[in-house]
Amino acid sequence: MLVTLQSILENTLARLSYQIVTYLPGLLAGLTILLFAYVIARLGRWLILRIFRGMALDRFLQQSGLSTMFDRSGRVRAPRLVAEAVYWGTLLLGFLTGLSALNTELTSRIIQTVVSLFPKVVTAAVIVLAGLWLGQYLGRGALVWAFNEGLPTPRRLATAVRLIIPFIAVVVAADQLDFAKNVFLAAFVILVGGSVLAASLALGLQSRHWLHHYLHSQVPPVEDSLERSLQDHL
Amino acid sequence: MSEIEVPDPASQAVQNIHRADIVVGIPSYNNVRTIRHVVQAAHAGLAKYFPQFAAVVINSDGGSKDGTREAVLSTRIEDAHLLLLSTPVFPVHRLSFPYHGVPGKGSAFRLIFKVAQMLHAKACIVVDSDLRSITPEWIDLLLRPVLLANYDFTAPYYHRHKYDGTITNSIVYPLTRSLYGLRVRQPIGGDFGMSARLIARYLERNDWETDVARYGIDVWMTTIAVAEGFRVCQSFLGAKLHDAKDPGADLSDMLHQVVGSVFTLMQEYESVWQERSGSDRVDLFGFRYDVGLDPMEVKVDRMLNAFRNGCQELREIWSLALHPETLSKVLELGRDLSQGSTEFHLEDGLWVRLIYDFACAHKAQPLERGHLLRSLTPLYLGRVASLVLETQNFLASEFEDRIEQLCLRFEQLKPYLISRWTDGEGRPVSMSKEQVPIGSPEMEAQRKEIEV
Repeated sequence: MLVTLQSILENTLARLSYQIVTYLPGLLAGLTILLFAYVIARLGRWLILRIFRGMALDRFLQQSGLSTMFDRSGRVRAPRLVAEAVYWGTLLLGFLTGLSALNTELTSRIIQTVVSLFPKVVTAAVIVLAGLWLGQYLGRGALVWAFNEGLPTPRRLATAVRLIIPFIAVVVAADQLDFAKNVFLAAFVILVGGSVLAASLALGLQSRHWLHHYLHSQVPPVEDSLERSLQDHL
Repeated sequence: MSEIEVPDPASQAVQNIHRADIVVGIPSYNNVRTIRHVVQAAHAGLAKYFPQFAAVVINSDGGSKDGTREAVLSTRIEDAHLLLLSTPVFPVHRLSFPYHGVPGKGSAFRLIFKVAQMLHAKACIVVDSDLRSITPEWIDLLLRPVLLANYDFTAPYYHRHKYDGTITNSIVYPLTRSLYGLRVRQPIGGDFGMSARLIARYLERNDWETDVARYGIDVWMTTIAVAEGFRVCQSFLGAKLHDAKDPGADLSDMLHQVVGSVFTLMQEYESVWQERSGSDRVDLFGFRYDVGLDPMEVKVDRMLNAFRNGCQELREIWSLALHPETLSKVLELGRDLSQGSTEFHLEDGLWVRLIYDFACAHKAQPLERGHLLRSLTPLYLGRVASLVLETQNFLASEFEDRIEQLCLRFEQLKPYLISRWTDGEGRPVSMSKEQVPIGSPEMEAQRKEIEV
């Protein structure tokens, strides 16, 4: 009994020591890399905040309308934006490098997936960002146009534009990522179909009176008198 | 910049005529009702006052469908009826061409200027084709300072109904005056005289295909003349009677183009206007007299409605341009109107800050320019409504004093504009709110123009 227990303990310790010997250096290396990446990320953010201060990036953000997209007050600062992007990018890179130090099948798969997805994610992010910007811009255009044309509820029209365009961007981005393609496509078709139906109904209802007057004016006087005589008869 | 395309008939006519001292340009688009009178006045003016000069009358047409061009070419002028004291040495040529390019008054002017340059004209004047009050004397008054007194630019000075020319009175005159320091009373009057030197300067510029091609042309011409140091004067032309529009009628495009041109030129000439403060009088030719004017109906309710709706709907766009304090005051006025207030007053200081804020936003946010300028319409209508309510019982001279008061406010608040323009952060500077009272000796002194 004691021998068996001793054997189990010895085996367990041997396995543990094997695993520690096998994985600990990798883990330590990974943690060191992550720590190093963290320091680099902080340093990078600090440097960028100082280097980019006073450069023309803020003007670009303001002129392009991107600043109001990120922050409605338009007070977002370009150096902060770039610094945060560099900070999180460096951390992600450090995290992946750290994972690769473990050198297991799982970590390799994770790294492979992230690396292969990265360009698509970036593209999708750019598409969504462009959609958000375009939605804001065209929304403002729709608002001013609808107001000057005297259309009812210009703000609702602007809101619709602001929702539809980013939604289209999300559909395109999802397609880019191969993520729930059918769901987004179906939603898109429903949205467009619904919009066309609503527009047709609105047009039909609006033109009903016009059509009524038009048809009335087309009725020849003879039929008119015939109608009257029929009424008289009845 | 694309080169101006001179139509073949125009080139041919220039070759035939070869040289002219004076060019009178008349831009037109469907003006058959009034253009005969304008052509007759131009001919009579040239024959009566400039018989010794070779002159050409050019109609630059935007594709009229109502026979405007035929009317120009077929108008009969009987010199015998003019009781001339001297016989014209040269016949007055008359030409009519369709212009090409962006449809608008600016494109029409561009062709006129080009033909004037090709003819080596010493002076050129342009007059609107919808004028009902033009007389032969207008030709003399616009031409003589340029031709015989070495001025480069003659701006018109009219008597107009107090509610005719509201864009001029509310924005363009006070703003150009405070910016460039010259009191050109009708910077977008539409009837101007120019020297060959100034025409050459206009033609060498590369912004002809912007808003300048349309309604922006008048303020563009005046601003260049004033900002680049050309010799500028004014001529008193009497009454301006034309097909007047209700200030509340379809004006968004016109406002957009005119104010957009002023704001765009502010960027080009920022080093000029930032150096200048106050304003100087501009020489005024002609004998001033009072005239009767056509009555005008102004629909204040419609303008107030537009302002109130704008406050409800366009807050988001305005917040891109207006200083938070200015925005809150504007919205407060809108709220008061919505709550049924019968009193409405958009005070001068608020209006001036609002215009200056829009000018700064126009510079800072080029992508939003179209939205910003188009969103200005209800604010402008609110200001006009306020002015109408305040001045409905004013005589013409009292109304003029009121405009003078507004101009002085624009000048007083110019440091605010410079601060926001250079700062870009929208931080306001403290300003003195003192106003010069109407009828004060200071204002009277400012009203006196040189009469030559």
